[in-house]
Amino acid sequence: MEKLLDVKDLAVSFRTYFGEIEAVRGISFHVNKGETVAIVGESGCGKSVTSNSLMQLLQMPPAYYKRGKILFQGENIIKKSEKEMQDIRGNKISMIFQDPMASLNPTMKVGKQIIEGIVKRQGLGKNKARKKAIEMLESVSVPQSNKRIGQYPHELSIGMCQRVMIAIAMISNPKLLIADEPTTALDVTVQAQILDIMKDIQKKSQTSIILITHDLGIVADMSDRIIVMYAGKFMEEGNVMEVFNNPMHPYTGKLLGSVPGLNINKFEPLHSIEGSPPDLYKPPTGCPFFDRCDEAMYICKDNVPERTYHSDTHYSCCWLNHPMAKDAAEGGEI
Amino acid sequence: MNDLSFKRDMFKNISKKSHKIDQIKRPAIKYWTDVWHRLKRNKLAMVGLIILIIMGIMSVLGTQISGYSYYEQDLTKINQALSRDYWFGTDELGRDLFSRVWLGTRYSLTIGIFAALIDFLVGVIYGGIAGMASRKVDAVMMHMAEIIYSIPYMLVVILFSVIFSAPRSGTSMFILILAMTITGWVPMSNLVRGQVLQLKESEYSLAAESLGASKGWILKKHIIPNGLGPILINVTITIPKAIFSEATLSFMGLGLQPPSPSLGTLANDGLAGMAVGLYHQIAVPAIFISLLMFSFNVLGDGLRDALDPKLRK
Amino acid sequence: MSKPLISVKNLKKYFNVGWRKTLKAVDGINFDIYPGETFGLVGESGCGKSTAGRTIIGLYEPTDGTTTFNGKNIYDLSRNEMQKIRKDIQMIFQDPYTSLNPRIPVQDIVAEPLDIHNIYSNPNQRRKRVIELLNLVGLGEEHTNRFPHEFSGGQRQRIGIARALALNPKFIICDEPISALDVSIQAQVINLLKNLQKGMGLTYLFISHDLSMVRYISERIGVMYSGHIVELADSEDLYADPIHPYTQALLSAIPIPDPKKQRDRYRIILKGDILSPINPKESCRFESRCPYVLDICGRKEPGFKKVKNNHFVACHRANEIIDGTLNQSRNPY
Repeated sequence: MEKLLDVKDLAVSFRTYFGEIEAVRGISFHVNKGETVAIVGESGCGKSVTSNSLMQLLQMPPAYYKRGKILFQGENIIKKSEKEMQDIRGNKISMIFQDPMASLNPTMKVGKQIIEGIVKRQGLGKNKARKKAIEMLESVSVPQSNKRIGQYPHELSIGMCQRVMIAIAMISNPKLLIADEPTTALDVTVQAQILDIMKDIQKKSQTSIILITHDLGIVADMSDRIIVMYAGKFMEEGNVMEVFNNPMHPYTGKLLGSVPGLNINKFEPLHSIEGSPPDLYKPPTGCPFFDRCDEAMYICKDNVPERTYHSDTHYSCCWLNHPMAKDAAEGGEI
Repeated sequence: MNDLSFKRDMFKNISKKSHKIDQIKRPAIKYWTDVWHRLKRNKLAMVGLIILIIMGIMSVLGTQISGYSYYEQDLTKINQALSRDYWFGTDELGRDLFSRVWLGTRYSLTIGIFAALIDFLVGVIYGGIAGMASRKVDAVMMHMAEIIYSIPYMLVVILFSVIFSAPRSGTSMFILILAMTITGWVPMSNLVRGQVLQLKESEYSLAAESLGASKGWILKKHIIPNGLGPILINVTITIPKAIFSEATLSFMGLGLQPPSPSLGTLANDGLAGMAVGLYHQIAVPAIFISLLMFSFNVLGDGLRDALDPKLRK
Repeated sequence: MSKPLISVKNLKKYFNVGWRKTLKAVDGINFDIYPGETFGLVGESGCGKSTAGRTIIGLYEPTDGTTTFNGKNIYDLSRNEMQKIRKDIQMIFQDPYTSLNPRIPVQDIVAEPLDIHNIYSNPNQRRKRVIELLNLVGLGEEHTNRFPHEFSGGQRQRIGIARALALNPKFIICDEPISALDVSIQAQVINLLKNLQKGMGLTYLFISHDLSMVRYISERIGVMYSGHIVELADSEDLYADPIHPYTQALLSAIPIPDPKKQRDRYRIILKGDILSPINPKESCRFESRCPYVLDICGRKEPGFKKVKNNHFVACHRANEIIDGTLNQSRNPY
């Protein structure tokens, strides 16, 4: 299967007057056609920087691509000019953001914003574009779409704004949709609606989706594959079933454990992780999770763990999975 | 890097009880230090700052350097152009323009800074009270301020200089400053009130209120320190405005009178010289006024950028 | 049954938002909170739960109703008496990034309640107390001179908790204390709150939109929708047997972090829009989205009635739902 998106050893840093902040420290992954890949992590892990860097949306300076390639349909995004990127953005790759209110122009009627996009990308005349806009709004379950077209963003609820954003993003049937925390700002009942719409769209147009989130629930709901990110690096990657049922990295395990599930015991404390993620101003030399890991070993402090594959699709970056760790454990260590 | 010969020992569990978890690695950066760093990188603003510092120092020392005082008249040396002796030339009464112009700068700076200071104090107090008070009191205070502000500025200055001026020395500096600030504080109080209204709703203000803090406490400890940014910018704009106002008034004869050399009166005196080709007599004070204005404005712009949270990284 | 520590009766808070337009943010809520318990107030954005919290602590003046603390209605107290009460009732705010003054170092933030009430005149004692409070929340002396922006969200929230504990309060209103935090940090803060409750005998009003967390930490839960409490029950009972259609939909919408269970389950997806809280008409507020709506729902507000032991619902069709005479699955799990 041809890879739609192939990221190789991407590293992105920020230059500040007191030093360099390494936000993304060497990640590699790919996205195939029609699949949903979720990148999961907590704030500061680098997932938003990753998603923004895929479309050259970071402010450069102070950000810069330290190394690596981003191959979209075989071509390296990093090497593209701004003009070439404008042809890709909103067209071949679209993005929806966390705050729909901030992404829409508050002084322009909703309909106009969609119609403009249609006219520009598909070259349709205004009337045809208007019809198409109404169709698109209906496809994302916006009721009374011909009335909504004439309204301003502040007259719509936040859930409806997000739906408008999705409609705008899907105008030219992009091959890849990047959804950066698309439901974080929404209520749980609205979130359920939006996720349904996104699943629907994917079925119809076979768009690949990169879902950036910290919510394991929506990952379980929507994604095919999951990548766990921490402190600028990937900790674990695999099919959703593989990783949820059999997490091999202690961080993944702890993440899954800190969400109160169905059968929680109220008398036991919740599984939490002590401390906070490391500051990427002087990133840790070894495994980034060393500070907060209960099962850390001496080797973890100064050595970055390599990938250990548990199946064709499932790997984790942890010294515990290294064959020598099992050896040491079996040898009856303290 | 590809050292596969790890020792077995390294796979032992490390007990980390002594490990400090909640450490902060970055150097502690205070807010104003950060602002200063950002300001430093703005070359234009730095130029303005340096000019102001130089002019400030010179305004104090400048009268002593040339060896001539600002009031000594040497009627044999009237209307001289720039020379080795008289670095900025002389005026129509043979006085050293160099000393006079630096004294004028001193007056202008004093007037500008004091006017801005009064502006600031009155504005902060009035605007702060209005912002924190109930809607009704706020409305009354704002209406009063509007009425005061609608009194024509020129009228006030003229009235004051007529009523309060001594027969020979013209309007004193004190009266001039008073006249300029008696209506001029209103925009500052509006700005402060706006800041207060906005910051009153911030969560930390609410938190303080829930702790039992009085309105005055919240204003002093929470609102003013956080609202200082735009207020400071306004001050850096008010100073050149005041300087220019004074210069204009003095130029028109309403401000400081001779022999007090403000930059405005010097410019006025220099007008006559233009007719006979003695351009330096007006050019020098005019350039000085421009330099002051430019420097303050450019510094204010730089400060605005440095304080802008969106540009923060 | 012991006496309640806090008793909220018919509390209303309306805002005037324009010519003849009244926003009824809180429209008559009733509940009691008993000493030592955690009462969860749950709802989505705009339901009025935060407004309710702020009105109960006295930051807003109520339009109607009473909040009784230790037998006295706090809205009737003089300023002096209110100052005394303030020591007993504290609040933890939602946004750790805006609830701490960025210009003040941590030790002054935590000591502010002590300073306002002039507790310590001796600076050494004050400092000792500040360090004691910081230690309670897992921070230390080395943090006293730092500024809020140098800390992570979870740490800032802990500073906020230390501040709330300074005066040894009896009752703490937690207004969405974990919503802005990462999941693993949420667990940290929740564990901390629970331990403090045990150690200091605190009573909590826990306001949140996160049902799972609220269920974990609360003994009883009130579900709010558009200014009204639509259901109130013991937390386990609410989860095992949600009666109000909104509660059912809410529970159904929470995604379970288990791919198989999540994709297999029956889900209720609400259609329609939430009714505007401005100048609302006399009706059930959930009428526009309720899957079981009848005529009467659009004409009359349902009363808040007891339907089971310790279980109250505001719904015209509550009895039908309990009896199962409505043809819909009740437990969406």
